[in-house]
Amino acid sequence: MSAPLLKIEIKLGYKLLLLFMGILTLYASIITAMYDPQLGAGINALAESMPEFFAVFGMQNPGVTLLDFLINYLYGFILILIPLIYGIIMCHRLAARYVDRGSMAYLLNSHYSRGQILGTQIFVLLSGLLILVAYGVVLLLLCSHFLFPGELAVPEFLVLNLGLLSLEIFLASFCFLFASLFNEIKYSIGLGAGISALFFLIQMLSQVSEDARFLKYFTPLTLFSPEQLIQYEAPALLRVILLLALAAIFFTAAWAGFKKRDLPL
Amino acid sequence: MNHTIELEDLTKDYGQGRGVFHLTFSVREGQAVGFLGVNGAGKTTTIRHLMGFLRPETGHARILGMDCFRQAASVQDSIGYLPGEIAFMEQLTGLAFIQFMAQMKQINDLSLARRLMDYLELDTGVKLKKMSKGMKQKVGLVLAFMQDAPILILDEPTSGLDPLMQNKFVELINREKSRGKTILMSSHIFEEVEHTCDRIVMIKDGRLVADESMSKIKTSQSKHYQITFSTEEQAALFQRAYPQSTRTEATVSFLQKGSPQKLLQDLSSYPVEDINARYQTLEEVFLQYYGGKKS
Repeated sequence: MSAPLLKIEIKLGYKLLLLFMGILTLYASIITAMYDPQLGAGINALAESMPEFFAVFGMQNPGVTLLDFLINYLYGFILILIPLIYGIIMCHRLAARYVDRGSMAYLLNSHYSRGQILGTQIFVLLSGLLILVAYGVVLLLLCSHFLFPGELAVPEFLVLNLGLLSLEIFLASFCFLFASLFNEIKYSIGLGAGISALFFLIQMLSQVSEDARFLKYFTPLTLFSPEQLIQYEAPALLRVILLLALAAIFFTAAWAGFKKRDLPL
Repeated sequence: MNHTIELEDLTKDYGQGRGVFHLTFSVREGQAVGFLGVNGAGKTTTIRHLMGFLRPETGHARILGMDCFRQAASVQDSIGYLPGEIAFMEQLTGLAFIQFMAQMKQINDLSLARRLMDYLELDTGVKLKKMSKGMKQKVGLVLAFMQDAPILILDEPTSGLDPLMQNKFVELINREKSRGKTILMSSHIFEEVEHTCDRIVMIKDGRLVADESMSKIKTSQSKHYQITFSTEEQAALFQRAYPQSTRTEATVSFLQKGSPQKLLQDLSSYPVEDINARYQTLEEVFLQYYGGKKS
């Protein structure tokens, strides 16, 4: 770890984090406010009238409890996507851009080794994701508390977010791997962002019809299963651990690969 | 091990003749070496090996006896480096970036950096992305020198600098040299290194083609003259006195060392339309020095 690099990355990155917190605030608060304990039935009717449309965005089971509601409208798509985009942008800023532009040469002409530099960047990336997801948790807890006191099942909600955080860490590690190993932006960011987008597309397709359900085995997004997580089902919890294990492997590979590879600086 | 910078049979093949091949040379402590070659000759690739950015395919790059790739972090502590391509953290001001890099290099005393900024007349309050090429180059120079490192590796250090600043740079290098620094600076222009370096190492197509002391190179450097006469006949007549020259229509070209006194006397009896004199290009110096022929 390099303390000066950590400090400068915080200085250069906090505005972006605030921006994403703002976006999160907008979506999360509006959607939470749309919950109606009595008339969840209204949305259910809407969902039944155009099930395919709702299914595409992971809103298959417009439920009755506030937690079900949040899972359907936030944890199926938006809350996965927002931190992912943040993660991709950070992979660009923390690794890909420095190599592509050549400013990595300065970072390396210092007291710190490649391993220390990249380790710092991984730490910055993980901290940003943690802050973003934690902010979402606090925000939703507050919104729920003031709008619908006592409606939210808090322990289940927290477990759900641990799952979300694990998924985001996994997706970020996947993008970071490419960002660390490739020189040109079209590969270092293009591959990570492109394949992540593909994961989303496959998940959307798999939710549209029964015939396409098998597609869910081709996207890691399936490893995050909110409905099962809030039931504390063992397979769902194991899948979360699998996500974290894969993330650890990807980050280690990124770190080791970056230490050994040729840099075009 | 008594060499500060040491390359031994260094090879990196990028295909299609690009890269560096079996490069061997070394720089002693306190020596200033000009590393010359045309663009694409492999200068930057060589320097990237010294900085530990590239891993040699075969051979070794060592600095202070340490392997440049495997022990890069330790090597970097002793090097002030100016990259050939300037790319900073664009969002910062010049001063903020210099302060950041001082922390990265664990420099506690910024007085040297301040003196350098003053000396180079650098306005560091400007954001890096708003800076001109020349200003960025100055920031790069401050970063390379502020560490007071025993070894300086400078890739095309004067590019983007105006003539006044180029002179200041020459003074700066000479001062560092007198303080015992080991310096390796690359350039594609001979004049850039002739006032600063003791020795010239030249590469072409990734291979070492010359390694000579500056004084020896200088005595063999000639000027290239190009004289246009009024008629082809006059040109042909003049050419008889200069058998090594070449002629295209009424224009005669040749190389000559030393004073142009005799040439002027010879020319006085001819009607001359135009006369053009320039220093030899690097390649010409090399070709002449080694008595080779242009292919």
